[in-house]
Amino acid sequence: MNLESQLRAALRHKQPPAGFRESALAATRRQPRLRPAWRAIAAAALLTLLAGGTTARWVEERREGQRAKEQVLTALRITTDKLRDTRETIHEASNH
Amino acid sequence: MRKYLLFFLLIATAAPIHAQKLSLDFPGLSEKASEVVDITLDAQMLRLASKFLSATDTDERDVRDIVGKLEGIYVRSYEFDKDGEYDRALVDRVRSQLGSSWKKIVNVRSKKHDNAEIYLDMRGDQAVGLVVIAAEPRQLTIVNIVGPIDLDKLSHLEGEFGIPRMSKKGQP
Repeated sequence: MNLESQLRAALRHKQPPAGFRESALAATRRQPRLRPAWRAIAAAALLTLLAGGTTARWVEERREGQRAKEQVLTALRITTDKLRDTRETIHEASNH
Repeated sequence: MRKYLLFFLLIATAAPIHAQKLSLDFPGLSEKASEVVDITLDAQMLRLASKFLSATDTDERDVRDIVGKLEGIYVRSYEFDKDGEYDRALVDRVRSQLGSSWKKIVNVRSKKHDNAEIYLDMRGDQAVGLVVIAAEPRQLTIVNIVGPIDLDKLSHLEGEFGIPRMSKKGQP
């Protein structure tokens, strides 16, 4: 037999045996499902992950906010220092 | 023609007043300086900082009032070990960016003390920007505040945040 006829024989349409559909469906029904306890554990793990992510984001935002606040205070401190220095220089000059 | 003029006039008056943000990039200057303060706070960062300023503490509430209206605070301060380590042309470069709406309100030239210039970006009666240039032999400080500024409120902040008021020479 040449290759062509071998392939044709192999790929020939065949009728499934009687009861194949039912046995296939029954087999899928027999697949083990997650038991309720495992479902609860999985849900708890997911919630923990979500809560952890939210907390981490909150901590990061807080850290960034504190840093921004410190920078604002430093910037205003430098600004007011320079404004005061200038005012004092003018005051000294006007007193002479 | 008159219709077009009226249209442009309406657009011009309706456009929001935006203060000018200066370019304060001085390549290579940080490497020469012994101390550097480089603060860049855009509107988003200022809003974030405002959330962390107390509404009950009087000092912080004042800061919150000021910062809440601003669009940006930019500070560059460089301290050097020796005199004349920075190019005075840097100051000219900052000055050259100031448009016609900027008014010089203070100009101090002193041999003993530092030279200082204060500019306000005036739109009508409103100050919407502040630039402070303080040039000492060993220190260069440039402050650019973008947004509506109340100088009285700003001056009121002096000596706050637990920092004692210092005299010019740095002595309490």
